[in-house]
Amino acid sequence: MTDTTHHAAGHAADEEFDADDPRMTRFDLVREGARRDGVEIVHYEPRFPVPGTRREKRIVRSLALMFLLVGLFATAFVVIYIAWPWHYSISNDNAKWFTPILGLTLGLSLALLGVAMITWGKKLLPEEIAVQDRHDGPSDSTEAKLTGQTILNMGDELGLKRRPVLGLAALAGLAPLGAVAAAPIIGGLIKDPHTTGPKLADGQKSSILTTTGWTPTEANPGPIALTREDGTKIRPEDVSVGGQMTVFPGIPGGASNEYADSPTLLIHLRDDDAAALEATLINENKGPVEGFNWKNYVAYSKICTHAGCPASLYEQQTNILLCPCHQSQFKITNNARPIFGPATRRLPMLPLALDPEGFFVAGIVQKDGSIVPSGYTVPVGPGFWERSDKIS
Amino acid sequence: MIAALALVGGIYAAFAPSTAASGEPVLDGAAKQGQLLYNDSCISCHGNNGQGVEGRGPSLIGVGSAAVEFQVTTGRMPATRQEAQAERKTPVFTDEQAQEIGAYIQALGGGPQLPEGTDLRGDNIAAGGELFRVNCSSCHSFGAGGGALSSGKFAPSLDESTDREMYAAMLTGPQNMPVFGDNQLSPQEKRDIIAYVQNMKAHADQGGLGIGRIGPVSEGLVIFLVGMVVLIFATLWIAGKS
Repeated sequence: MTDTTHHAAGHAADEEFDADDPRMTRFDLVREGARRDGVEIVHYEPRFPVPGTRREKRIVRSLALMFLLVGLFATAFVVIYIAWPWHYSISNDNAKWFTPILGLTLGLSLALLGVAMITWGKKLLPEEIAVQDRHDGPSDSTEAKLTGQTILNMGDELGLKRRPVLGLAALAGLAPLGAVAAAPIIGGLIKDPHTTGPKLADGQKSSILTTTGWTPTEANPGPIALTREDGTKIRPEDVSVGGQMTVFPGIPGGASNEYADSPTLLIHLRDDDAAALEATLINENKGPVEGFNWKNYVAYSKICTHAGCPASLYEQQTNILLCPCHQSQFKITNNARPIFGPATRRLPMLPLALDPEGFFVAGIVQKDGSIVPSGYTVPVGPGFWERSDKIS
Repeated sequence: MIAALALVGGIYAAFAPSTAASGEPVLDGAAKQGQLLYNDSCISCHGNNGQGVEGRGPSLIGVGSAAVEFQVTTGRMPATRQEAQAERKTPVFTDEQAQEIGAYIQALGGGPQLPEGTDLRGDNIAAGGELFRVNCSSCHSFGAGGGALSSGKFAPSLDESTDREMYAAMLTGPQNMPVFGDNQLSPQEKRDIIAYVQNMKAHADQGGLGIGRIGPVSEGLVIFLVGMVVLIFATLWIAGKS
């Protein structure tokens, strides 16, 4: 039945139908109301025609019980919420049941309320079968034209032709609002990341993409010490063979989120593993990584080259460093080459040296024994648009 | 575990083979008992006088009594077979016997030793918690429930770990666990970490069931399997004819 024929039928029925006819029952009015909405009630009968049967009484009793339990659990919730002797302690006492019991009482109360309502509907309400026509297909051409004209009429009513000032004002107000939506997309293109890094030791501008807390800058010319999270410096004997330690740049705020790209893993390798790594470094010819280790100690960036998670699960026998986010694995004895998972770049290596006081610093030892401060020689963390280097 | 012992023993053996070859060490009572146990149960893989057997078991020279106690009291040693990593099982030896074997290995080549006593808990639980989150949680997870490593290896749950076992594990770095020597985590810091872990384990889960305390993995599984199934049956009941 299309809308137009339906309207016509409803209109026709309206003429015959007298709502004030005293012979009509309330259900007759209900049925007529449903009919006008396109719903035909074809079957309707009470679930219990004879009142007071044993079955009906049983259902009523169980429903009543459910509602009483709803109230009981809800009351219990309120009482427990107010009166439970909760306090924090490091013991393991009954007071700890506060939250679970609150959840249990409220949960049972709500669940029973739901069950009671559905049961009422299913067991006590009359049985009813109603049929409603489905409105298929597009509206006919007359209906389409009427709707279209209605919309155009709304435009006329706004009267923008008569009041152009209003139109311009609305446009002036809405355009900046549109810019708000575009801001997250366009905003990233406004600041050039290549010039917003810290000033380097020689006064040059730097890129935030290639600098970390280890980079020697005008403010921290270095050599920058390796420190624990509390800022204390580290001596070689602080890390046992087969041990590792997370280190941060020894600059103000070096262990804070301001330098979240700088955490580094200092590893003390065994003799044969260190020899294997050294052989890899010498064979690499991939830049000045030779001499970045200090004896059997090496330091690699902890920031995974896949998505920037902290790769910090170190297996000291296999010398594999795992990233917990996407299971990338880096073989430390092969210069942190990714050997499994989505990462495609090696973890960058931090050049290690010992300062005259015997503390680890980031720098490259020269032939004459002096230390040239140096941070990572390649950018840490995930790739960005102008990086194309892959694993070798 | 074999590999764990191999690591320490291997290094030592590399530059000090003459120590082991210099003749029978003088053993005291406990070490003598330990030698008997060793010769019964360990010698087939770790060789005469703990010198290791190529391809079977590493040298135990220099691993110390702490490593022996950890491996034997947790049942990881004697190993029943070679696998990705030796797992905790019912110990073959009593704690006393484990200490005797430890004394024997200690007499052979020295190495890290555990302090006395079974209560190795510090008083500063808060500091222990901080150290746990910095040093331990990446592998053992925040709730000490353990986690996966590479190729079938895993960081075990600390649920059953005793104070001594945790202390020994930090001190010796069994299997693939890094070593946390006394210069990195002082004995006091180790005790604080143990106090934190033991308190956390004894703590009731205030939010209800902990479900292994490994976070979204187990919780998601329960929500999906239990929650979804309950909801599906609820909708069937609501929509079904009465």
